[in-house]
Amino acid sequence: MPSIPLHLPGPTRAHSLPENPLPALLHTPSGLALVEIQGTIHFPTPPDASQLSTQVGKLVFPLYNPDINDASDTKWMKRVYLYIGKGQRMTGECKKLGKPIGVMRKRPAGGDTVMGGVEGQDGEGANEEELEIVEVVRFKVVFSARPEPISGVTEGE
Amino acid sequence: MATQQDEGGVPFSVAHQHQHFRLLELSPEIVELVDAPNPPLLFIKSQAPSPTASDAKPAYAVLCTPNKTFQLRQVQTSNSLFVTQPALEAHGNEIPIPATRAIASCTATLELHASTASAVTMLKGVLPVYDIVAGDVDAISNGRSKASMFADMPLSDGECQAAWNELMAFEVDDSSFQPSANALSQVWRSINAASLAEGVRLDRQFMTDEITRAASEEGHPSNFIHAVLAFLSTDDTDRSGPWSCLDRAKTVVFTGRTLLEAEHGADFLVADFTDTWEDRLPEVWRKDAQLSAIDGFYELPGTTIKAKSKAATATATATSAGSAAASMKPSARKWHEKFAKTRKK
Repeated sequence: MPSIPLHLPGPTRAHSLPENPLPALLHTPSGLALVEIQGTIHFPTPPDASQLSTQVGKLVFPLYNPDINDASDTKWMKRVYLYIGKGQRMTGECKKLGKPIGVMRKRPAGGDTVMGGVEGQDGEGANEEELEIVEVVRFKVVFSARPEPISGVTEGE
Repeated sequence: MATQQDEGGVPFSVAHQHQHFRLLELSPEIVELVDAPNPPLLFIKSQAPSPTASDAKPAYAVLCTPNKTFQLRQVQTSNSLFVTQPALEAHGNEIPIPATRAIASCTATLELHASTASAVTMLKGVLPVYDIVAGDVDAISNGRSKASMFADMPLSDGECQAAWNELMAFEVDDSSFQPSANALSQVWRSINAASLAEGVRLDRQFMTDEITRAASEEGHPSNFIHAVLAFLSTDDTDRSGPWSCLDRAKTVVFTGRTLLEAEHGADFLVADFTDTWEDRLPEVWRKDAQLSAIDGFYELPGTTIKAKSKAATATATATSAGSAAASMKPSARKWHEKFAKTRKK
């Protein structure tokens, strides 16, 4: 019976390099987080092929204010907006997952550091397929309602 | 800290090149392992449909921790579930600002369900039987090591090893076997004889090799003798150490059961049976040979005794082995049967 090793993330997994702009509760050591929306996001084909990504909108946590509220205050979780483009907004919330979710991927051969995070200790011969759980995520941002149209006033202020 | 918020939220972008991730819903047991200082290596075993094993189900995959097994089930979702990562996004000529970037989109998650498969039943189904007929070994070797047998089981190595120990399975000549009741009965006779000859008391600490050497003079593979001694040892015995000490109650039950099962259901006068049983035990344990010790494993049609049918003993072993969950499962919803049972008592 074929058997594939599955590595668990070590307690010493490296921290992500760029600053994580999300609320601290959503932070994970590698910076990975989960965002669920109903539907799909469409955006025009980028004109510049060298660009790695397209900014489609922004996440807003209207009630999140760590300067005023205590870190244990979780009321802000009840409301999150995701603005898409200039005309649509989704309302959602942060949810604690009943069962944490492991983000699993193929282990890169030779301990490649695609994510700028996980450091492979086994430099030699990782020729067989191996899997790894790179992160365990305990919260997710869920937008369970359909997007609603908005006037473009709030955008870019 | 909150500057991003004040200026209108966290930029959300989507990567053009998505990475490939699978999302796995983790059970508390796995989360515990992740949080442990030295997380163990897990394995995903996938089973192709097997024509040999009769109880083989269609292809499926299991996730094994060192001693637990979970079935993997894929659950599709119509939503888009993005895996995001912090990134610096530059807009035109502006200074790059921290953003959240979706780097993967998953349409399915994998759920884990604790496996209810019994390692004992499965190993029993695939291990060739080692029998001794009229002094000659009767066994068809499968040419497979224990490790290769375990690799084919959709269960964790820990569960396989526990079942292996329970069946007193052993490796000899690059093959794996499970002993028949008859073979067990004969090996036990050799062990008991060896202890008498060597003047070794089995209920005190003794050198495992001393008894094994003496008992193997009758032609039994030493791995087989080892397996039996390990099975009968007290729970606090260190199985990797050179010493053994047999558990009195376990040994008495084992001797009685194998003696009865070795008769293949043939009738045995109760008095003959208890006499033989007593003779098979070390002198000091003789009086322990009481039918009450093997309650549930025999039936008494008249003055004779015989081993209970295979199916009945199988369930008895299952419950005594502590896998009560497995035996309770089928009737979990039949509340009226449960009621009826309690009323009879």
